[in-house]
Amino acid sequence: MAHVSTDQLLQLETTCGSFLYELQIIWDEVGETDTERDKMLLELEQECLEVYRRKVDQANRYRAQLRQTIADSEAELAAICSAMGEPPVHTKQPTQRVGNLKEELNSITPQLEEMRKRKGERLKQFLEVMEQIRNISVEVMPSEYSPSRHVDESDLSIRKLEELYRQLESLQKEKNDRLKQIMDHLSTLNELCSVLGVAFKETVREIHPTLDDTEASKSISNVTIERLATAIGRLREIKIERMQKLQDLASTMLELWNLMDTPIEEQQLFQNVTCNIAASEEEITESNTLSVDFLSYVEEEVLRLEQLKVSKMKELVLKKKTELEELRRQGHLVVEEAENEPEVAISAIESGAIDASFVLNQIEGQIAEVKEEAFSRKDILERVEKWLAACEEEAWLEEYNRDENRYNAGRGAHLTLKRAEKARALINKIPGMVDTLVAKITQWEKERGIGFTYDGVRLLTMLGEYTIVRQEKEQERKRQRDQKKLQGQLIAEQEALYGSKPSPSKPQSAKKVPRTSTGGSNRRLSFGGAATLQTPKPDYMHSAKSTRTAKKLDDLGTLSPGSRGLDIAGLPVKKLSYNDAITKHQEVGMPRKPFASLIPVNTIPSAPSMPVIASTLEENQAPNTMLLLTPKNPATAAAVPMHVASTPAPTCLVNDGKLSVVASVEETEYSFEERRLAFYVGGR
Amino acid sequence: MSRPSLPFRFSSVPPPDPQTASSRLAPVDMSTATMLSGGRELSQPPSDGISNLRFSSHSDLLLVSSWDRTIRLYDVGENTLKAEFVHAGPVLDCCFHDDSSGFSAGADHSVRRHIFGSGKEDILGHHDAPVRCVEYSYAAGQVITGSWDKTLKCWDPRGANSSDRALIGTYVQPERVYSLSLVGYRLVVATAGRHVNVYDLRNMSQPEQRRESSLKYQTRCVRCYPNGTGRVAMEFFDLSEAAQAKKYAFKCHRKSEAGRDTVYPVNAMAFHPIYGTFATGGCDGYVNYSKYPTSIAALSFNRDGRLLAVASSYTFEEGEIPHEPDAIFVRNVNEVEVKPKPKALPGPPP
Repeated sequence: MAHVSTDQLLQLETTCGSFLYELQIIWDEVGETDTERDKMLLELEQECLEVYRRKVDQANRYRAQLRQTIADSEAELAAICSAMGEPPVHTKQPTQRVGNLKEELNSITPQLEEMRKRKGERLKQFLEVMEQIRNISVEVMPSEYSPSRHVDESDLSIRKLEELYRQLESLQKEKNDRLKQIMDHLSTLNELCSVLGVAFKETVREIHPTLDDTEASKSISNVTIERLATAIGRLREIKIERMQKLQDLASTMLELWNLMDTPIEEQQLFQNVTCNIAASEEEITESNTLSVDFLSYVEEEVLRLEQLKVSKMKELVLKKKTELEELRRQGHLVVEEAENEPEVAISAIESGAIDASFVLNQIEGQIAEVKEEAFSRKDILERVEKWLAACEEEAWLEEYNRDENRYNAGRGAHLTLKRAEKARALINKIPGMVDTLVAKITQWEKERGIGFTYDGVRLLTMLGEYTIVRQEKEQERKRQRDQKKLQGQLIAEQEALYGSKPSPSKPQSAKKVPRTSTGGSNRRLSFGGAATLQTPKPDYMHSAKSTRTAKKLDDLGTLSPGSRGLDIAGLPVKKLSYNDAITKHQEVGMPRKPFASLIPVNTIPSAPSMPVIASTLEENQAPNTMLLLTPKNPATAAAVPMHVASTPAPTCLVNDGKLSVVASVEETEYSFEERRLAFYVGGR
Repeated sequence: MSRPSLPFRFSSVPPPDPQTASSRLAPVDMSTATMLSGGRELSQPPSDGISNLRFSSHSDLLLVSSWDRTIRLYDVGENTLKAEFVHAGPVLDCCFHDDSSGFSAGADHSVRRHIFGSGKEDILGHHDAPVRCVEYSYAAGQVITGSWDKTLKCWDPRGANSSDRALIGTYVQPERVYSLSLVGYRLVVATAGRHVNVYDLRNMSQPEQRRESSLKYQTRCVRCYPNGTGRVAMEFFDLSEAAQAKKYAFKCHRKSEAGRDTVYPVNAMAFHPIYGTFATGGCDGYVNYSKYPTSIAALSFNRDGRLLAVASSYTFEEGEIPHEPDAIFVRNVNEVEVKPKPKALPGPPP
């Protein structure tokens, strides 16, 4: 090109010379003046100069523009490099510049392009990282983080990027940590819920809806974690509370099992309860172990066991009570304290006013006391038994002696004879026995400073009474002997007069004998007379007690209810004629038997099946046996209101010698209402 | 045709039993062991012994018969005396017909019907001796009376006041009638001499069964279980061996003092209308662990079993003696007292 331009310049120069030559030719022809010619030439020169100046200016401007571009590019390049934290690409000074401006520009442009591209890439990286950071931050603390999408372009250095990466990494770590924490919390919560029997999903949903979702990402914000922790704390508290309750229940249950020897099968149903008795809070993991249902189920069982215990305790108390009573009975000890104690104790236990074990202890104490006392009394009691047995034999013998047919050879007569012989021997020993007994008792009483009682009666008194009665009997016997003698004389006289001998069995003296003997036997009642009457042993008490009432026969007001009942038994005697009184029916006659002057008149016929009549006959023959008959014959007893049978009242009547009255009154069965009506009518 | 096995029970006057004296424990009772108050006392009680009281099966009206020759109708809810009738002699029993009328059995041999609203009364007829008990059978529409004249009579209440036209039939009993109980068409009659006859009201010509009380002593009161399904009872109508083997008896109303057992007569029994459990009352004045001033003469549950009327009234068991005044207590019944005790353990919750 340079060539071309040179050629062109050369051509231009020739052209200019040729133009000037042509001009000179023209001018010569025209004849222009030299002045004119000079003027024209100057003009030409000036115009040429102008053109040159313009071109130079143009070139100058272009150069400046070029320089500006280069400077700009260099500045941008430098800016990018500095932003990216890289050393500037051009280290050379403008003065040391090699090559011209265009070269320079050409060399700088690709660099700039390159740098721009890199910058764009870097920016993109930044944006990506920051987006991620922003996302995580929002997740971690949604409220605190104010999102700025702006990237500071002045600093796009690797360092910054790395910094951002580190930030991102730490955020991711935090997120993971939080996720892990949440998962931990959730699993704890799940465990707690399952143990407590609470719905896990609902609980979790309440804290944050995303937590329940397995697909969606879970909320990991501080608030959520806090809430989770609170929920866990709350549930744990409940768990501890319930665990303590369960353990309380379990220990109560174990105690009750232990106490009541609950069968193992029944226990196994609650094995899962009792195995947790000593477990710590963490150890209880089985689901539903602490649910409300389960707790109430266990509670129910404990309640049931407790009720069972109360009833067993009650039974035990009663058993002990019975044992105590049995011991007292064996030791013939009578206690005057509150008699309905078991009922009182039972009702108190039921109402919870008294602890059953306290009552038990009390009774145990009493039992021990009674045992001790019984031990000290043992020796004397044994002697008393012997003495009583002897008295029994004495009574039997007396009875036997009165039997006029006793020598009739019947079956077993030889045995009776033998018994009588033995009895006589035994009776002879009685005074000795009594004396030793009195001595022993006196010593015992001296040692202890209290009276020795036998079934509530002072034994010494009993013995004293016995002695008196014995003496009386002796006197009676003596009297009888005298009488017999007298009779013998009388018979002898009669014989002398009429020459005949009355039968010795004529019961002239019989009238007197029963009276004295019943009197005697009645008196004997006062020292454990039940034995004398051959009634079953448990009756000792009754009879012994009765003696006291019997002594007070005249004082009706203070009679025992039993004797009162008997009194009533006598009531219908006069008054069971209500039928007539109310309906004015004809009066029925009142047949009277001898002895039984007060037999009730029955407009209501008695039951035909009553076997009492037969026994009544027997009784009339041998009044003394009546008491033996009554308990033997349940049919009779059936007709008798229980008071009559249970109380010693009959003895009172024996005393009066009106045995048959009792017997005949009891022939017919009456209800309370019938008696009442009889009384009612009688009263009107 | 299989017989329904309907059980019935006796109570009786027992004598002492020395053999069992040492082995006696607490009285068997179906109520739970809680101390309960005796309930509130009705005002204007009869002035002499109460022979019976009954709740209406429709309302809380209470009909009371007494030795003071009256029959009284109380409204328990309002504690008021709504009607009173005076007889010539003591009234030994009473029962409701419906809420507007009732029947009474008198010691003056009469069987009467009372209209509560108008105070009117009719005479259904007479026995030859005091009438001890009266029952009304809703099933048969008949009044049944038992008397000490050793008969049972059935009456049609519609024929009242027309010279024994009400009488349907007279049925001779082996002894004086002491107690009656009805369930459906079945009638149980307990008499002196421990006889027990079971009748079907539809065929009164002869007893369906003749029995002897399984208790040794005088029958005071006989009551039928309200339903007979599967409950262990003392006696069953069913004569099959299996049912008869289920008989049982228990001792109650006893007290042991100083080694001596006092066995009190059991005067009254009442069945709970819903649970079928029953309460007993005796001369010891106890009803299910609650102590009353004197003997329990009669008991009655109201229709839903929430109220128990208790007649605390001396029953002449010891003759004419001073005693506590006669009173009627109405007590609220706790459900736990009367609910049968569960036998099996409840199952663990799911």
